[in-house]
Amino acid sequence: MSNQFKNLNRRDFLKKTAAAGALGALGANGLITQAMAAGDTVHFMAWSAAVDLVKSHVAEFQKVTGINVNYSNAPWAQYRDNLITKFVGNAPIDMMWVSDAWLPEWAEAGWIKPVDKFDNLMKYNAEAEKFCNDSMTYKGSQYGLTYYTDFMAFLYDDEALKKAGISNPPKSWDEVTEQCLKIKNAGIAEYPLMLALAQESWLIEFLAAMTYSHGGNFTDDKGNSIMQDPKEGAVRALQWVVDAVHKHKIVSPASVEIGELTGLKAFASGNHAFALEPKYRMRTLNDPKQSKIAGRVKQALMPMGMDGSHATVGWMRFHGMSASAAADKTRAENTARLIEWFGGKANGEYKFQKYLFTDIGAGFGVKPLFNDADVQNAYNSYADVNIIKEQQALARKKDVVTPWFGEWNEVHGSSWQAAILQKATPAEAMAKAGKKWDELKKEMG
Amino acid sequence: MKPTTFDARSEIYRNKSQTTARLRNLSIFVFSILLLAYVLGPIAWLLSSSFQTEAEIVSVPPHWIPDEPTLKNFEAIFFSEFEEVTYDTRKKADPVSGGYIPSTAKDLLPSMWNSFLVSIAVVMLNLFVGVPAAYAMAKIRFWGRDGTIYTILTTRVIPDIALVVPFFLVIKNLGLLDHIASLIVTYLAVTVPFTVFILVSFFESLPDELDKAARVDGCSRLQTLNKVFLPLSLPSLVAVMLFAFLTSWNEFLLALMFTQTIASQTLPIIVAGFTSDFTISFSFINAAGVIAVIPPVVLAVMFERYIVSGLTAGAVKG
Repeated sequence: MSNQFKNLNRRDFLKKTAAAGALGALGANGLITQAMAAGDTVHFMAWSAAVDLVKSHVAEFQKVTGINVNYSNAPWAQYRDNLITKFVGNAPIDMMWVSDAWLPEWAEAGWIKPVDKFDNLMKYNAEAEKFCNDSMTYKGSQYGLTYYTDFMAFLYDDEALKKAGISNPPKSWDEVTEQCLKIKNAGIAEYPLMLALAQESWLIEFLAAMTYSHGGNFTDDKGNSIMQDPKEGAVRALQWVVDAVHKHKIVSPASVEIGELTGLKAFASGNHAFALEPKYRMRTLNDPKQSKIAGRVKQALMPMGMDGSHATVGWMRFHGMSASAAADKTRAENTARLIEWFGGKANGEYKFQKYLFTDIGAGFGVKPLFNDADVQNAYNSYADVNIIKEQQALARKKDVVTPWFGEWNEVHGSSWQAAILQKATPAEAMAKAGKKWDELKKEMG
Repeated sequence: MKPTTFDARSEIYRNKSQTTARLRNLSIFVFSILLLAYVLGPIAWLLSSSFQTEAEIVSVPPHWIPDEPTLKNFEAIFFSEFEEVTYDTRKKADPVSGGYIPSTAKDLLPSMWNSFLVSIAVVMLNLFVGVPAAYAMAKIRFWGRDGTIYTILTTRVIPDIALVVPFFLVIKNLGLLDHIASLIVTYLAVTVPFTVFILVSFFESLPDELDKAARVDGCSRLQTLNKVFLPLSLPSLVAVMLFAFLTSWNEFLLALMFTQTIASQTLPIIVAGFTSDFTISFSFINAAGVIAVIPPVVLAVMFERYIVSGLTAGAVKG
């Protein structure tokens, strides 16, 4: 041990340690502050999907506009928490991907701002699907442009239907019952219809599709609950499911424990003849490497309930603008240009949405792409582009996306499950969900 | 007849004892095998599936020994070259075809280096801060000593998630966002209390006479610590070093918040980024997992004999 160390007393030791720490922090601070102080950079945060496509599209944007973009991403599972922390910490973020389910919360918190004032963005609304524009709108203001979208589809195994002597898929939920019974009686499938009704994030999409196709809504135009009204479809839809499970035995009683992915695998294994699945799953279901019923899966329009329609539910994600970007004129304009580059046209075409579809099969929200030859060929390789186009036009936004959506959704999902397990009648179950909605709206609305 | 009866009884008793012992040994053997299968099963599957194709990995029943072993996942990690991503060079991720290898595969080794730097720095600073602190708390009687120990321990009661926003604000104001220094600073806050807790317990278990004798012989406090206590503390030091290393190596939440680019991103962040809502390659992620577990496993094997004794040292005071 050196003399210097030997003679070091506690006070000296503390002084030297503190000085070293301060110098280190200052040095690092200087370096990093210098690095962060880039001029008119647009900070773009996304989740880790289609990373290469995003990078290539950003590179082209930088080349064309000369605006620098700092692109970073986080895994989907932690994306929301990550971004909220950064909003709270006022981290530099200008453009980000937003789920339609988060819009009310983020808008109310003032983390994101509307883009209505940017004509270069609003001009794309005319060519976008209505449910996409609706899903990005909160309290009358639009908050971005579409990143990707999809909808709940009614799928069937064509071969199973043919075996049972059925030539056309069902057009109504009554016909679904009839055809299921025929298939069941022919011994083709014990439970011909696959419904995945486990309490998970997919559940609301299934329930909304059922409710909309039965001619119902969960709320009215003012956001008041009407889900408990027997005339508004939700009760009728739930009654149909309860009958399907207990009276006709065409849906498994275990459906309340089946998640979307498990249901997909069961359908892909040939255990069912019909299924409600997100449209993009058709690609998997018609892939011989992943599905035993590949080449047999087709899509029909969502069956109609009594007084219903072929409506289904659609969901989407969009490119949004942060409040800090909106507060600065130059930053806001640069951010709007980047939003347009991704959600609108880049060099005269909907390049990002098209490539997103052709690369990874993610749905687009702009109607003209249905006329694109590459898109048509891609869709027709595993589905019927015309049915997809027709069904997508009938998709509607979830009318329950509010700041209290998460809390209500728990009660709502449990209510459906309670009715399916015969612990409550459909009317009682929906009354409970409606009451919870009213309470939360009163508290937070 | 009596002795005969006695012998017979003894024989029966011996047989019973032997049978019981055999049954006990058999039970221990069977449960050991089950425990081994339970513990090693996931690791065996991780290793096996990292050499499988995507189609094989999802086949039913699973193939524990790959039919068509492939090295393409490891090739992507070790031999990917930097290439500017353009429309022409982008990787098209098709969730249907499977076998997708993300372009960020090349980031795995740099992120591993970042993890290594952070972990080593945290270990060194833990010792630098924790050892003198623990020694002082264990052997120097000063006002507020107990309160200090409890305060340090109390900081570990707060869940990490509750600290994220305050940490973020501090790191942002220090200008350390997207820099590995942000991780070193915050990981220290997480690991130092544990280090102090383990070492205080251990130092307290050593007799005060050792401290006094060293002082009488003319040692300063630092010399006493360095020449008397540290040589006796190897198992505890190894335990806290391993704890600090593994905590830093595996930490995800804070790294996710404070890092943005490969300049600072650590292994868990890069590995988590290999999944998305559209694409996932199980075999590739498992290959990344195999590489990620190598350093901790090597360390654990190297210091295995110290780990248990270090963690339990000072736990029971005689």
